Formats: sequence, structure tokens, C-alpha cells
Amino acid sequence: MRRYETIFIVRPNIGEDEIEAITSRAAATIEGDGGTIIRINNWGLKKLAYLIKKENQGYYVYVDYAGVPASVAEIERIFRIDDRILKYLTVKLADSCDPEAVKEQIASAEPVPVSDAESMEDKKTDSTDEEKTDTVEEEKSGTVEEEKSDSADEEKTETVEEEKSDSADEEKTDTVEEEKSDSTDEEKTDTVEEEKAD
Amino acid sequence: MPPKKRIFPRQKVCRFCADTSLVIDYKEIRTLRNFVTERGKIIPQRIYGNCAKHQRKLTDAIKKARQIALMPYAGPTHL
Repeated sequence: MRRYETIFIVRPNIGEDEIEAITSRAAATIEGDGGTIIRINNWGLKKLAYLIKKENQGYYVYVDYAGVPASVAEIERIFRIDDRILKYLTVKLADSCDPEAVKEQIASAEPVPVSDAESMEDKKTDSTDEEKTDTVEEEKSGTVEEEKSDSADEEKTETVEEEKSDSADEEKTDTVEEEKSDSTDEEKTDTVEEEKAD
Repeated sequence: MPPKKRIFPRQKVCRFCADTSLVIDYKEIRTLRNFVTERGKIIPQRIYGNCAKHQRKLTDAIKKARQIALMPYAGPTHL
């Protein structure tokens, strides 16, 4: 049993029942081949980064499951045919997976305060995020995840500020050579420029 | 023409190696957004000082996020 996660985007204007039908059909396909669903998250309506089939928003569904490769191919085939599904993406997480153990780990993982996040394994912090989202309203799941990574980011910003200001310069001078605007590397870039000019 | 000097980049530490709790995941666009310019282009490794392994993972994650419309191919990322 390999561990996969699939995210698919459904058109926003169809009803909840239809989304539920699509999700359960996918779930049935997985379980029909002998797999197990670990969790299903509805991320809800989100603004898309770019227009997909002329739609600005999409309903995101996230499925985490253990299954055989054949079921992945089957699900993708169904998604491809269905007009209501805009996009899908399947990622393999692990080659072998014991779904019961993973479920227990997710269920038993307690919500972790931000300061303790660094000491926990990557997988656990990921799963604690999901744990929170399961218990909290599904609509809020996106923001909870974002908050967590945001605070992790904030811890880094102090050490990173210098580099960030460099990169802020970089962004403005996209068309100009990037080395020119990097102030800390100025001495070295001057010599590099000279060589280039030569 | 002066001989080509070996320019050593200043000692930048890969922030992912330094802090192993930072997870690179295509779903966490808050983290990924920091490694992309205003126009949506991926920032090269020599600017940010990432090690090759993490730069590859980062690029992979950003491309996946673009594919699933969490990040744009061009333009600023809205959150």
C-alpha cells in the first residue's frame, strides 16, 4: 500500500451534494481496490491563482489515502472525463504505509503550541495541523495551516532580514543584472563586472 | 585582463539545513512565497544561500503549487 495524497479542484457553482458525490466516488474507487482512506479535508472555496476554465474560484478537496497505483490511475481517469473537476494533482508520499498506524498517529497527536513546533518531527507537525483542522470548522482549515507556518516564518525573520532586504532589491531590478543591486556582494561583483567588461 | 579570481560567496547558511523544522510543502504557500519574486519567478540559489538539495525541493514544491493554482505562474501571490 503506497501512501498518496490527491488534491482536486471542483467548479464552485455546483452544489455541496455533487461535490460530496464526487468525493465518495473517488473514495469508493480507492476502497474497491483494497485501499484505505486516511483523511479527507474540504478546504472549501478558494481564490485561484489564475483563471482555470474561466473560473476565478474553486472548491478544493484534499484526500490522503493508502492504495494501489491502479486506483490512482482510475481516479485520474474519472477526473479527466468529468467536466466539473478543474484540476487534480496526486503526490506519492511514501512507498509503503500502514494506514492504521498513521491514523492512530494523527488521532493521538495533540495540538502543539507554536514554541514546541521545532522539536517535533516534520510529519507530526503536519499532522497536528490537520488534526486541528478536523476539529475546527472545515472552512477555517486554510487559515490554521497558514497561521502555523506564518509563526514559524516569524521566528526566522530576524536572522533572515538581511538576506530579505537583498532580495527585495533583487525583485525590483528583475531586468537588470541581479548582482548589481546586491549591496553586500558589491566588492566582489565589481571585480566580476570588470572582468566581464574586459 | 586580470586573471579570473575565484570569488567565494560569503558564508550563507541554508536556512532549511539550519532549522530542520521548516517543512517544504507545496501546500504551505506562506513559506514558499518568500522564495519567489514579486513577478512570481523563483529566486536563484546563490541569492538566498540555500543548499542544492533544498533548492531542488523548493523548486519542486513551487512548481507543484503552481500546477494546483495555489501560486501563480506569473504575477504576485495573493494570500
